[in-house]
Amino acid sequence: MELADLAVKKALNAGATEAEAYVQRTNTIFATFADKIENLKTVESTGIGLRVAIGKKTAIYSTSILDEKEISEVSMRAVKIAKVTSEDSHWNHFNKKFAKTSVEGCYDKRLENPDYKEIAETLMSAVGCMKDYDKRVRPTRSFLAIALENVSVANNYKESSERRETEIGVFLACKVQEAGMNSTGAEQQQARTWKEIKFEDLATKAAEKAVKYLKAKPIMSGKMSVIIRNQIFANVLAIFLSGPINADWVQKGRSPLSGKLGKQVASENIDLVDDGTARGGLRTRPFDDEGHPTQRTPIIEKGVLKSYLHDTYTASQDNVESTGNASRLFGYWTRPEPSPSNLILQSGKTKLEEIIRETKKGLYVDQTIGEWLSNPVSGNLNATVTHGFLIENGKETQPVNGVIIAGNFHELLMSGVEIIGNDVRNSMGTIGMGIYSPTVKLAQLTIAGK
Amino acid sequence: MGKSEKFDLERILDKATSLGASYADARYQCFDDELITVENRELKSYSSRRLSGIGIRIIVEGAVGYASTSDLRQSCLERRLQNAIKAAKSIKGQKHVFVETRINKTKVKSPAKIDPSNVPPEDKVSIVLDANKTAWISSNVKNAVTRLGLTKDSRLFMSTEGAHVEVETTLVGLSHASVAKVNGAMESVNDWGDSRCAGFEFIKCGDWNSFTAGVSKLAIEAANSGTPPPGTYTVVVDPEVLGLVVHEAFGHASEGDIVSSGESVLRGKLGDKLASDMVTIIDEGTVEGGYFYPFDDEGTKKEKTVVVENGVLKNFLHSRNTAHRLGGRPTGNARAQDFDNLPIVRQTNYYLEPRGFEFEEMIEGIEFGIYVRGKGAGGGEVEPGLGTFTFGVGPSKVIRKGQLAETVKGVVISGSILDTLKTVDAAGKDLKIKTSVFGGCGKEAQRATVGFGGPHVRVRKMTVGGR
Repeated sequence: MELADLAVKKALNAGATEAEAYVQRTNTIFATFADKIENLKTVESTGIGLRVAIGKKTAIYSTSILDEKEISEVSMRAVKIAKVTSEDSHWNHFNKKFAKTSVEGCYDKRLENPDYKEIAETLMSAVGCMKDYDKRVRPTRSFLAIALENVSVANNYKESSERRETEIGVFLACKVQEAGMNSTGAEQQQARTWKEIKFEDLATKAAEKAVKYLKAKPIMSGKMSVIIRNQIFANVLAIFLSGPINADWVQKGRSPLSGKLGKQVASENIDLVDDGTARGGLRTRPFDDEGHPTQRTPIIEKGVLKSYLHDTYTASQDNVESTGNASRLFGYWTRPEPSPSNLILQSGKTKLEEIIRETKKGLYVDQTIGEWLSNPVSGNLNATVTHGFLIENGKETQPVNGVIIAGNFHELLMSGVEIIGNDVRNSMGTIGMGIYSPTVKLAQLTIAGK
Repeated sequence: MGKSEKFDLERILDKATSLGASYADARYQCFDDELITVENRELKSYSSRRLSGIGIRIIVEGAVGYASTSDLRQSCLERRLQNAIKAAKSIKGQKHVFVETRINKTKVKSPAKIDPSNVPPEDKVSIVLDANKTAWISSNVKNAVTRLGLTKDSRLFMSTEGAHVEVETTLVGLSHASVAKVNGAMESVNDWGDSRCAGFEFIKCGDWNSFTAGVSKLAIEAANSGTPPPGTYTVVVDPEVLGLVVHEAFGHASEGDIVSSGESVLRGKLGDKLASDMVTIIDEGTVEGGYFYPFDDEGTKKEKTVVVENGVLKNFLHSRNTAHRLGGRPTGNARAQDFDNLPIVRQTNYYLEPRGFEFEEMIEGIEFGIYVRGKGAGGGEVEPGLGTFTFGVGPSKVIRKGQLAETVKGVVISGSILDTLKTVDAAGKDLKIKTSVFGGCGKEAQRATVGFGGPHVRVRKMTVGGR
């Protein structure tokens, strides 16, 4: 019997009226490198998260030890906790619809037997590209992670379903120092298969960036139009939308998008979908973290809010179907809750060069820190620009750093998104979500500088 | 330690030596974690977790290989060891050296009277339910989430050099977030509350009811207020914000691995005057209110490290390897999130020492500035290569003509490591150090529980953003 099914059976025997088991097995290779490979580590990690319900009382218990004796103990402990906790009046039942959506491009068989030497050589040749770009470039701490994951989910309504996926993430960084000036450059990419990762391109771009921003400095405080690069705007979308479109936030009164279904929440040029089935998408999967099939859900169409993201729990409260967005964001031990799969801001038509060329005065934002400190409830957007440049009469002039950009995201979405680029890319800065965005031009943001 | 002790780490270490490792260490960890969440007066989730496993680090011909597993059977450990050796052998031209350190054999525990695992689940839930109820102070409160976190982290470190260090740390805490809506404006305040390296007695004795009511009051006040005009001002920061700033803005750049890779702006600056005379920065393993960290994950004792003394950079934080690279002593700062991770250089309790100023003295004479407060702060981030840092702080106060004036929300501060600390011209008498069971510091995808704090200080030039 599969371990997940066994755990469900044991929990029911121990007195649970419902039970759900989630078994996760992950193999990861992680390399740290700068000029040379610092270390190479391999991690085998396993775990089971068991959710039980006794009537409307629920509990979740998890362990990293996957043997039968521990599973028995876990079942008993989970039931013991559920017995004494208070009722969740909104509780209905675990997922009853188990199925697999057909998905492609999410598994690279080649990574089952990784060749450590080939990995090391690939990384060193990427580092070589940085140094070849300019002799002042010095590679700094960079990382590669390769993960293979296998998940099975079972509950008292259905036997276990299994899915497997692979994921590769690379972060390449370097630094340039000259005459008391400092500059850094970094590039990152995340993909499902090894051949998608463009190691040498990324390395060259990181080096190019470090050289380009060597003379960056703050500009004066003021207001101007701001162009935000694709991966950075994807981070912004993750912060401002992943929570507010989560039906749990809406139902609990935390979301600024409460009561806005069918209403205009963005300008007409905004189309946003959550697509758990996108080919090769970072969070494309046949089923979500409670076994429900994934799907493509339009969230915003021509600026109108069409749907929230649901799991079984939130869907039953709103009397709708789950959208297949149950997610255990941090791993097997976390309670599933709705979260984006691949949240995609649909591409526009304009090339980045054209956006810049048509800007009379503005700030191009290439890299930021602290954008995650923004507040999705109030809509206050803040980020500190570490890499940017001033655009004057359609040309890049002064490189900029150390200024804070600020605005209200909800207002920007309603009337501030002037141009949407055609260069959709995913963001790597966000745990457990695939967020995709093109570069966008915002009409006006406040800039705190000198 | 741990009841599932079927494995024999000594045998693994011997095997590593026989397979050609010049050095090997093994870390066993068992981590128990409970999180109880109450939202809008109802129990939202009660989750418990046990995480245990072993990580094996070896050096073969100067290269570091690492393998970890949560499968504790001896046969699996041996297979993983082979994997670590294979990984190390694929690395060319690396010469990883560990500076000599004192070999410790010891066992220590953080002070805890009542082990949280011995407290009945219903007692834990009722404290959180009660605390959540008192957050509903008016109809302006739209959402309230209270969390109780209870963790016990037991670690064993053994090496081929003969080290054997066991550390057990219990950390408990309660946090609260309220969302308020006033005249259509929504604001949330998420307060990390109080955490302590102590047993359940700390939770039992806390006044959590007035704590959650206070968070709601602040959320309403913030929803009712405006944002500060953007620009560069004189600010007074409270101990919480100061702790964040010192940790992010200076702390990370002082970590030996970031220094030795050439990324840090502090590289080559030992002995330089980088801050005003008011600034003395300490990293210390065990301090009142902080995280309990007596030994690091290489078995080195974490003592008191003076990083900056009266403005002069004195020491970097080190692992045994970065101490070799930069010519220092291991300072006990090699920390790993868990057995799945290699130790990297991290801060422990990083704080600024107090001086003699009263709060009133610091704000008098400020024509227009901000009193920057930490309650409800979001955290911060730094780009150590450029020295740029940024923080989202909590609802703060405007300082006008030497007096505290209206509340402002949405405040973000930003600055440069090498400039900001030079403009600190007053430090208070008070010292407050905090830690948290709910979060910690992130670096290279590893989280670490840290302590941070200091006194109130005045900073002459800080960039303040807001809408």
